[in-house]
Amino acid sequence: MLLELQNVHVHYNKIAALQGVSIQVEEGDFITLIGSNGAGKSTTLRAISGLEKPSSGEISFRDQAIHHLTPDRILKLGIAQVPEGRRIFKDLTVEENLQLGAFTRSDKVAVRRDLDAVFGHFPRLLERRNQLGRTLSGGEQQMLSIGRALMSDPTLLLLDEPSLGLAPIVVEEIAKILCDINGKGVAIVLVEQNADLALELARHGYVLETGSIALQGDADSLARNEHVKTAYLGI
Amino acid sequence: MELFLQSIINSFIQGGFFALWAVGLVLVFGVMGVVNFAHGELVMVGAYTIWLLHSQYGMGYIPALGMAILLVLLIGLFMERFLFRPKREDPLGGLINSIGVLFILQVAALIVGGTGPAKQVAPPFSGTLIIEEIVRVPYQRLFSIAVCIAALSLLWFFLTKTKLGWSLRAVALDREAAALQGININRTSMIAIGVSGALAGLAGALMAPISNIYPHMGHNVIITAFIVTIVGGIGSLPGAVFASVLYAFLHTFITAYFSGTIATMSGLLIMVLVLIVKPTGIMGRRISE
Repeated sequence: MLLELQNVHVHYNKIAALQGVSIQVEEGDFITLIGSNGAGKSTTLRAISGLEKPSSGEISFRDQAIHHLTPDRILKLGIAQVPEGRRIFKDLTVEENLQLGAFTRSDKVAVRRDLDAVFGHFPRLLERRNQLGRTLSGGEQQMLSIGRALMSDPTLLLLDEPSLGLAPIVVEEIAKILCDINGKGVAIVLVEQNADLALELARHGYVLETGSIALQGDADSLARNEHVKTAYLGI
Repeated sequence: MELFLQSIINSFIQGGFFALWAVGLVLVFGVMGVVNFAHGELVMVGAYTIWLLHSQYGMGYIPALGMAILLVLLIGLFMERFLFRPKREDPLGGLINSIGVLFILQVAALIVGGTGPAKQVAPPFSGTLIIEEIVRVPYQRLFSIAVCIAALSLLWFFLTKTKLGWSLRAVALDREAAALQGININRTSMIAIGVSGALAGLAGALMAPISNIYPHMGHNVIITAFIVTIVGGIGSLPGAVFASVLYAFLHTFITAYFSGTIATMSGLLIMVLVLIVKPTGIMGRRISE
């Protein structure tokens, strides 16, 4: 098992955000967490990356407990996150942003190769490599955020609402790239409000409702589930 | 005319010092989110180190300058590790801790140097450069401005050309996103306050031979540093350097033609006006985005 969350609880002050979430991700897997606003999707990803400390429960990566580690240590183990709202460094250039994604790596040749690979995925970033992050469009900023996460050469990529606020054509482009990345063996956990898209891309899905898992299963069977259809797919 | 030309030269030298004071404050505020009220006292400790080691114990000026940098750097690291880090999520707590350090260092200076008149250090670089019998620049001041410019250039190079420098800027821009890139926030904070402390120690060591040394000399430093960081735009290093030179001109000319007190009052007035009219300063950006 690549990543396993066992009965994870997270509290903000005294308010429970996660109330016993259990998730399993295999090597090379593609899973999605869907659910409405405030269901705990982002909190789950934040807990995996070490930005929130679980009040109880366990998170393990390749059978090693990681829930007590700081975010930089977790990144080094191979878990990268594309955070909600992109969070690129707006006063740094595109290339500086990407280089910071590889901050912990010392093998310059491999970093160079991955930089070229990111520019291969996102040719528009290559055109704008010396521009400041703040001059990019929303879609380009999302690409930069994904590219930055890829620069750490992750085994597991967490994405928080990558489609939010983007034009459908850009969403399609990003979806295609996520499939490519997954095809190269990187496991993906995708958090989305756009459940149509998420269930189309992922192999397994979890439905989060008020801080716990309401449903889980194959993406296809979830997409046919009556409850999911009415609540999340708008059919 | 002579006074005018002389004031221009003096403004640049003064501006170098202002910038050296301010960038350390900006760096710590940007990366750690702490307003370090003891920053002026760190400069004071640098000056006292020169007085003690160079004037009292006869150590060479340059080795003593190195010791001043090292000592203040270590004080900075101590402050981050034991006073600011436990208050990471509480900027007010960090600020209050820094005010505590301010008083402790002032008292320490009194214990080391005793009371009595302000101390002075004989300039190790004697002589004066005289240009056309009009402008006079003591070699000590030329040395100071050269070192100021070298130190600021080095800092600029570090922040814009090295990956470690980018990581400091990344933490200042978005601490959480920086942590997600594998940047260790504690380590970055240590680097920021280490650089800030080294610059403060250097500034104090450079000031020692050309100004009075007394326990409260940091007062003027922190007021000036606040004025130029606010006018320049809080968190903007280029803004702080630019504002330092501007303010140095204003301060030097008003001091030359009126008085030093009016000069500082004008500076504070400008700071208040900037806060009312354009709170983001000359080069600052809106924080909310």
